Amino acid sequence: MSPSGEVVASISSAVAVALVLLACVELGDAAAAVGVYRLIQYDLAGAPLGSRAAALNHHAAAFPLPPGADLSRSALVAPLLDLPLSFLREYLVEKKHLGGLLILLPKKLSDKNGTGNDVDKGQVKGVLAELEKLLLHEEVPYPVYFAFHDDDFDNLLADIRKIATSGQPASATTGGYKLVVPSAEPRKVTSPTISNIQGWLPGLKGEGDTEQLPTIAIVANYDTFGAAPALSVGSDSNGSGVVALLEIARLFSRLYSDPKTRGRYNLLFGLTSGGPYNYNGTSKWLRSFDQRVRESIDYAICLNSVGSWSNDLWMHVSKPPENPYIKKIFEDFSDVSNEMGVSVGIKHKKINVSNPRVAWEHEQFSRFRVTALTLSEMSGPPEFLESTGGLHDTRESTDVDSVIRTAKLVSESLARHIYGLKGRNIDVFAENSSLAINPHYIQSWLDLLSRTPRVAPFLQKNDPFIAALKKELSEHTADVHVQNDALDGMFTFYDATKATLNVYQVASVTFDLLFLLVLGSYLIVLFCFLVITTRGVDDLINIFRRPPSRKLKGA
Amino acid sequence: MTVFHFLNCAFLTFGPHVVYYSATPLSEYDTIGTSVKAAAVYLGTALVKLVCLATFLKVPENDSFDPYQELMKVFIGFIDVAGLYFALTQLTHRNISQNHKFQAVGLGWAFADSVLHRLAPLWIGARGLEFTWEYIFQGIEANANLVMTLSLAALGSLMWLRKNKPRTLVPIIYACALLLATMPSITSYLRRSLEWQTPKVVGFELFSSLVMAFISWQLFSACQRPM
Repeated sequence: MSPSGEVVASISSAVAVALVLLACVELGDAAAAVGVYRLIQYDLAGAPLGSRAAALNHHAAAFPLPPGADLSRSALVAPLLDLPLSFLREYLVEKKHLGGLLILLPKKLSDKNGTGNDVDKGQVKGVLAELEKLLLHEEVPYPVYFAFHDDDFDNLLADIRKIATSGQPASATTGGYKLVVPSAEPRKVTSPTISNIQGWLPGLKGEGDTEQLPTIAIVANYDTFGAAPALSVGSDSNGSGVVALLEIARLFSRLYSDPKTRGRYNLLFGLTSGGPYNYNGTSKWLRSFDQRVRESIDYAICLNSVGSWSNDLWMHVSKPPENPYIKKIFEDFSDVSNEMGVSVGIKHKKINVSNPRVAWEHEQFSRFRVTALTLSEMSGPPEFLESTGGLHDTRESTDVDSVIRTAKLVSESLARHIYGLKGRNIDVFAENSSLAINPHYIQSWLDLLSRTPRVAPFLQKNDPFIAALKKELSEHTADVHVQNDALDGMFTFYDATKATLNVYQVASVTFDLLFLLVLGSYLIVLFCFLVITTRGVDDLINIFRRPPSRKLKGA
Repeated sequence: MTVFHFLNCAFLTFGPHVVYYSATPLSEYDTIGTSVKAAAVYLGTALVKLVCLATFLKVPENDSFDPYQELMKVFIGFIDVAGLYFALTQLTHRNISQNHKFQAVGLGWAFADSVLHRLAPLWIGARGLEFTWEYIFQGIEANANLVMTLSLAALGSLMWLRKNKPRTLVPIIYACALLLATMPSITSYLRRSLEWQTPKVVGFELFSSLVMAFISWQLFSACQRPM
């Protein structure tokens, strides 16, 4: 019987395939699936900080909360401006438990239309900064996620509020919404690396010059740190510095390409990593240099947050301003800034060698006895892990014109120093010349940086962004080199920075029980109906009377 | 409690078949063999239908109602009727009366239909966390389908197994059978072209199946009177 045998074989193989498919089927049809970003989880010198959990599986709750609500088994969904920080602080300080927290960030910090929105932008920025400060320095034992607020979430919040006003908090016995983030236990990031990228523009060595030419270094740190590492794009801190550096490199590479206009200084461009961690990377980078090279550095200009200033820029130094080198450099800057119509102020902060806190990048240079300064729009040194590119530092907080102004200021001053130009009406990088600052270049790089989260431990050695920076620097400079090093042991980071949130609409257990009841009664009625119509009513009664009649028979 | 929901919907979909079998005299006469054979015939019919659909129908580019495609689907639906004919007449049954034969065949046919069309979606969908009314509606549809299949089997047995029918009733019998055979096409037309929502469609199916069942019952008892 070979045909039927074949049929049997094909049927059995079909059954096997079906079983395999069933095993692989994912039960994932949710009402909505949203991309969410987790609060950072890290250990600082052994102390656990940040959100310590990643998996979420709780009913959703929203403000206004019903009285006496137990939030330890609920995930609280709150738009940023509706979340009272005092409430959060209270929960953290009293170590009360939340099932989870989902904070909805506004899509844009401000709308371009409307006059009252400037106030909103400032308020949003302020709230974000405070929230970040609170969450970064606390140990939060439950998962905290950030998501962008949109219409779906508005509907979700409205529904949750409707259910809440009916008097019952969301739990397993009443219906509602369930927030599920399927995530594995977050693991430590093993051996996080910092990658420093450097490029040289060698100067013109004359016939009589036997010694090494002096070097001027221009440095900016490109990595960020923030409450949500997947959202830390650090547009102003320090995307603006990186873009200004790239533009300066581009301009000087044009000047240096022709031997007739090549200056007698080497130019060293450095894109360093590890900035938020006390400029760890800069220190390692400098240590990697040969001592003679280090000694040949005349001075270093560090760029930090130059993207949102209009009239005042600050030059921060660690050597006293009376120092002749510092004085000369400051004069160069002042001359150019006066011509440009802006002002540059000087701020002096002494280094305390015993204090491990390094607030500005130039302090690392100073510790190696290299004269250095930092140009920044900030008038005071930032606190530890602040102003490192957090949630509020998006593309909207940066201004292309500020970066252009910075690039012009630095390049003009450098050119005057290198070529020894004196007097007024000198405009090396004039508009409409071949050396004009290119606003499109600045804008496109600023846009790219504002789309790329750059927290150093999550950037691998071979990350495409680092490769892109290296490629760009090699377009303008020679001898480009990437130095990889391990991040200082004080910090430990954990992964699981991004996840997908599933929002399910669930029915309560009472509904299921009710349905079972209805179903049971339907089937019983059907049974009785069929017995009556086909066999007669007597049969129906006999089904229930059988045991007693048997007894009678026995007796 | 989603496995709970799955079990609920499974009871709703397959429960009536089991209840029908145990409530009516079918269980007393042990007609399970007939039902199993009818189920097997249904499987064969389904395969033939699939092959025909694949061969003759084009994939529609847009969701519009193409009359020729729908007509083709109706014709392929008649393969169902052919299958039922085969199950009623050609298979050897044990000595059971006409009355019970059509019921057993109809039951087996409807059960196989439910299993084939509804078990897989139920298994995959009803166990998830998300709650929808979809599977409850599917269960109700399965009930309506059972009634319709029984009616069709009754009319089929009237048409093919009974030789002496009152002349006046014959065209009515054939008309009702035709209506029942085209019922799937009618529901898909309602769903696609008139864009009725699922609750409405399910309600219509229930109502029409009860009406047709009543009519078939009357016809069947009418044909039984002379005997």
